[in-house]
Amino acid sequence: MLVIPGCKKTEEATAFGDFSLKVKHEVEGEALKTDALIYTNAAGNRYMVTEIQWFISDIQLIKEDGEALGITQNVDENIFYIDTDIEETHTINSSYPIPSGNYSGIHFTFGLDKEANKSHRFVNPPESFMFWPEYLGGGYHYMKLNGKWINETGAIEPFNFHLGIGQEYDEGGKSGYDLFEFGDRGHYQHCDGYMPPQKLNSVTAFIHNNFSLKLPLNFTIKTGEPVEIDLIMNIEKWFYGYKVYDHDVWGGAIMQQQEAMDIACRNGVEAFSLRSEK
Amino acid sequence: MSAKSFILKTLLAFTISLFLTGCSNDKPAFPDEPGYKPTPYEIEIPYAFPTKLNIPNDNPMTEEGVALGRFLFYDGRLSGRTHPDSLMSCSTCHIQENNFEPGIDHPVFEGGFVHGLTGQQTHHVVLPLVNLVWNHSGYGWNGGIYKNNDNPNFRTIEDFVRIAVMASDEMDGDTNQVKALFQSLDGYPELFYKAFGSQQITFNNIEKAIAQFVRTFVSAEAKIDRYLRGEEQLSQPELNGFILFTTEEGADCFHCHGGFGNPLFTTHLFYNNGKDTVFDDLADRFAITGDIMDKGVYKAPTLRNISLGGPYMHDGRFETLDEVIDFYSHHLQVSEQVDPLMHHLLRGGVQLTPNEKADLKAFISTLHDENFLKNPAYSKPKKFPDEP
Repeated sequence: MLVIPGCKKTEEATAFGDFSLKVKHEVEGEALKTDALIYTNAAGNRYMVTEIQWFISDIQLIKEDGEALGITQNVDENIFYIDTDIEETHTINSSYPIPSGNYSGIHFTFGLDKEANKSHRFVNPPESFMFWPEYLGGGYHYMKLNGKWINETGAIEPFNFHLGIGQEYDEGGKSGYDLFEFGDRGHYQHCDGYMPPQKLNSVTAFIHNNFSLKLPLNFTIKTGEPVEIDLIMNIEKWFYGYKVYDHDVWGGAIMQQQEAMDIACRNGVEAFSLRSEK
Repeated sequence: MSAKSFILKTLLAFTISLFLTGCSNDKPAFPDEPGYKPTPYEIEIPYAFPTKLNIPNDNPMTEEGVALGRFLFYDGRLSGRTHPDSLMSCSTCHIQENNFEPGIDHPVFEGGFVHGLTGQQTHHVVLPLVNLVWNHSGYGWNGGIYKNNDNPNFRTIEDFVRIAVMASDEMDGDTNQVKALFQSLDGYPELFYKAFGSQQITFNNIEKAIAQFVRTFVSAEAKIDRYLRGEEQLSQPELNGFILFTTEEGADCFHCHGGFGNPLFTTHLFYNNGKDTVFDDLADRFAITGDIMDKGVYKAPTLRNISLGGPYMHDGRFETLDEVIDFYSHHLQVSEQVDPLMHHLLRGGVQLTPNEKADLKAFISTLHDENFLKNPAYSKPKKFPDEP
């Protein structure tokens, strides 16, 4: 008779689990309803959102002991595009099994940081359509939050709340190019705080307006029990916190208005929260 | 060795040899024909272009398919007829030197407005056939031909061929008549065999061949491409125009019409750009989506080679690029459907000065790609397969 001895485990193997981040867009605690002029921000602007497209990157799970684990093994893959019109982008899965254990929070970067935010890193849409013009700093939009608001004259006006690399312009009027006629803009509403830059004035500096957050939440990862955590963008909070953001002040476009983008980003650090389904 | 052992070994060898010499895919369908061995056609991805191509799984590109498609694209018998007055092919309206559009100075199609063999004008003006292999968002002004369409007959460029042959405002033809005609022409059945493995011509294979050929149309050798690759500098007006093109305080073209990060110079997506306040076109984007906010919405086409001339917009309302730039500067119309990216709407437009308009136009001229417009690979063949 032949006896084949069985294998004997000499130590416990490390357990792993799955992790998913579910991205949700809410206004005042309710799921965002696009194309509906039903919201009022802190400045009193009645507004609607037509779509939001944005990048989140460097997502890390923070263990109880403080160790941070990226949700992808390759840091270059830890950049995710989210689009209110594309449901598949609302779920971000870890790309490898996450070690079991107790976790105390999640870290992420809104947008892309300076090292990651390089032109042509994405050549395929929809990511490639988020490109930020070279003249304005290159790389990609952190976010396009498009919509319309009822302006102070009562007209519905479009806004593009676009965040990305900001610029400082040579306000002294010295241009890197030959001078040209600035043109008559007297008929166009100059709002307080809005200083349209000379279109071809030299850019003297770029400012990276991205920010990183470490949000606390206790959760446990166990083998065989996938964990889903909601990451909520609380849209109304883009418009207050550090300062009240008034569309009537800044107008419909802010890509070349660093002062506006600065306010938006300082407000934005309070615009995200986590929620566990359990 | 015993006789029994010899017989068993021989039988075993024979059985093995039968197994090893089973049916081969290289067996020709016709004893006199060479084997069906299509050669894969690789599209070379230009600098910074997308790597994902819209090529249906059931129609991989081959040299033989592309070669056949080139004949069919230019052969007026695609209409299914042979009378000189009844010939019509893709190239009747899609003229290479005009960016595969008719061109505003067309000798027959006045102002670039085309009509079919019945004399009926097409509903919308012709779109250029440029870099279509990178379009994943729907073909046509309203995107009605798209990948995941519930209706399988309206999904790909192949379906456009059928539509063109049958439509009353195009060839007004009969697909059975077309395939029977090509079946009767010397040289064509053999080309179909080389491309698709059968001399029996099907209309489906006619569609596939033409679609393969159209997918080869790549425009990526304009001055702007050399600038993007760091090989050539733009002139001052062109640089000024590039800045205007890609800034919100300038002409603000880039969100819809691309730029450094999107060298297609289109998103292939759909927008209401403030042309009208009343929307009565039954073939706009609303006709496809049923979304009331898609009234008056149309595709933002590529700006590559548009400095050639109009007509511009879905209905060809603008003849010149100057008119288009003036429209975007001063004449936007307000409606609730206007896309929020048109945020200069209430000012009437981006309010460019005359110098700025000239600079913008200079930049747009850098998208002109003479190599594409003259590339012999896309041109009419010197003779057709049945010609001596």
